[in-house]
Amino acid sequence: MIKLIAVCAVSAFTGVMIQKSRAQDQELKIGVVAAESGSFVSAGNTIVAAARLASQQINDSGGINVGGKTYKIKLYIRDNRTDVNVTIAAARELVNDIGVTAIWGTETHDFSVSMAKITGSAKVLQFSGNSSLGAVLDDKSVAPGGWLHYTFQTEPQEWQRSGSTAEGVLTLLTPLLPHPPQHSVVFVGNDATGQYLSSHYVKALEARGQKVDLVKYPPDTTDFSPLLTRIKGLNPDIVHFWYNGDSTLTAFPQALKLDVAPSYFLFGVDPGIYQQRQLKSDKPVTLSCVPVCWGASPSPVVQEYFKKYFDLGASKGPQSSVSLLYYDYFFMYAKALEKVGSIDKPDQIVDALLSMSYQGVVSPVPLTFNVHHQVTFATQVSLVKPGTSDQFVSTIQQPPPSPPPGDPGG
Amino acid sequence: MEIFFQQLVNSLSVASVTILIGMGITLIFGLAGIVNFAHGEFLMVGGMATWFLVSAGINFFIAVLGAMILVGFLGFVAERGLFRFTLERPMNGFIMSIGLSVILQHVVIRLFNEVQKTIPDPIGQVWVVHGVDIIVMRAIVIAITAIVVAITYFCISRSRYGLALTASIADPDTAALMGIPVRRYVTGVFIYGSVLAGLGGALMIALFPITPFTGSVVIIRGFAVSLIGGLGNVGGAVVGGLLLGLVDGLSAGYGFPEWTDAYSLVLMIAILIVRPQGLLGGTLGPKAS
Repeated sequence: MIKLIAVCAVSAFTGVMIQKSRAQDQELKIGVVAAESGSFVSAGNTIVAAARLASQQINDSGGINVGGKTYKIKLYIRDNRTDVNVTIAAARELVNDIGVTAIWGTETHDFSVSMAKITGSAKVLQFSGNSSLGAVLDDKSVAPGGWLHYTFQTEPQEWQRSGSTAEGVLTLLTPLLPHPPQHSVVFVGNDATGQYLSSHYVKALEARGQKVDLVKYPPDTTDFSPLLTRIKGLNPDIVHFWYNGDSTLTAFPQALKLDVAPSYFLFGVDPGIYQQRQLKSDKPVTLSCVPVCWGASPSPVVQEYFKKYFDLGASKGPQSSVSLLYYDYFFMYAKALEKVGSIDKPDQIVDALLSMSYQGVVSPVPLTFNVHHQVTFATQVSLVKPGTSDQFVSTIQQPPPSPPPGDPGG
Repeated sequence: MEIFFQQLVNSLSVASVTILIGMGITLIFGLAGIVNFAHGEFLMVGGMATWFLVSAGINFFIAVLGAMILVGFLGFVAERGLFRFTLERPMNGFIMSIGLSVILQHVVIRLFNEVQKTIPDPIGQVWVVHGVDIIVMRAIVIAITAIVVAITYFCISRSRYGLALTASIADPDTAALMGIPVRRYVTGVFIYGSVLAGLGGALMIALFPITPFTGSVVIIRGFAVSLIGGLGNVGGAVVGGLLLGLVDGLSAGYGFPEWTDAYSLVLMIAILIVRPQGLLGGTLGPKAS
């Protein structure tokens, strides 16, 4: 009997202690809205995986110390099913019913803008990796009371990325061509993102002396041979497969077989994927990733990040690197909360984010947000040695200081 | 001029996979009366099965057979387990097939993840004929398509089973009274159409990467081909596929490239207004007994 009483007492004490310990750890509710199904699932899954990795690391290292309390991140992940209406419903639920303090997502401009209309009025912070947000982030929209005051663009401005990418591509390809390249064809999917991104990239190429033809294809194209034949007839020095990695991986092998151009640039194709697919070209090929490559990163910090990322079970795909548009900002947000000393003062948290710099994984220089809530970092461009699938020469290109002529910035 | 001939060759190869898809749809829709919107996913499953087998070290052409058998079995299960119960109400079957397409997409994502899949070109050669690049694998796909079309055409129009099938469509009640197992024929047509989808997917992944969402893209073209040619008409599917391939190839080459899809769909609309029964005429599917 005494033994039984002792066991009960120990159990009760242990239970009380566990409850007490749990009570000391507050819950920081963070929402993630991303496509875990539907056609954007490749990009959506990377957001979720980045959020899981970052929150796990923060929680494992003891959580976030805010105003003397320890907060552990609890993620509320919602599948937007690649549907803008589901995205809006998910944002409403997270903001109104669950009461999250911040939301990460989404993978596409239109969805992010729709979500910002909900997060903005509820004073919930939003971190979105869409460079096209630059079209709406301006002095008025980010000012206190503006509808994007709580929204942060975690991808560089498009003119910056286009400028650094164009510079890297031309620098790497020029020595390998019989004459300096003068004529480029930009081949891009004809959707909202493709149109926005290519408008900046064309200007960046023109600013570097290129005559540019823009050829757009319907987004769901699988057989590119008629379009590539048309491009071949234009006699370009470089064909730039712009923006959609999956489409590029479909089109590029066809271009090689049709011998379309003397050199190529593949945007959004990681050297890791190039190697995995055993792609091989006797013509020079350059690659760039959004934002840094997992396949051939010269940075040990990036290599370590991707090791942990893939160890969590995330897929090795063309868009895996997109996760780095989301990962660092969990730590940046945590630092801002610690600095403010409260999770319930969104205006002060915004100010803290705007005034801080954070040394993350995505960039060798500390991340900072500009007055329009946008980050700046360099672009990695890699050259595949002709005739190989696994030998790369990489360069890190810093963004240009200002937009090229004719580019309105944003 | 070389570019023009290149575009003609391209058009033929664009047409071949489309013909295979369209033929499966035209048989199932036109002869069995089932609107299977998941037919594109059947094709995708065929492509994924081929990828899986080739990745496991199996020869591509054996993998093609494996994919055809697998998708044929999938068709058998779908017809017996789902569509058989909707023959009286085709709209129910149509909605059910949309659900099935989403389920198949996510089963494949669950099994193999969402990343696009590709296999090395099984042949990997290009013939250059008077400056025109002919990709050998594409030529093989065209040849296989031609053989399948010929066999299917013969079976439908010349064989005893084909005649019985035609009778089942014309008057299912009388055909049943004369001892023709109409429902078994419906199952047979559904399985054969599914096998063609498996073949289409297997050949497609030899040319292009495939994602779990490939089916939802190709299904539109498949229906366009079968409607342009005339439902249930194998020859019509060939004509429809060639016409769409030609329009796609030449419009991409000489029109506004971003409108490539629109040109062929505008053509489909125009043909259906002028000839509602399709270019070569067809059926509206059997009245299930």
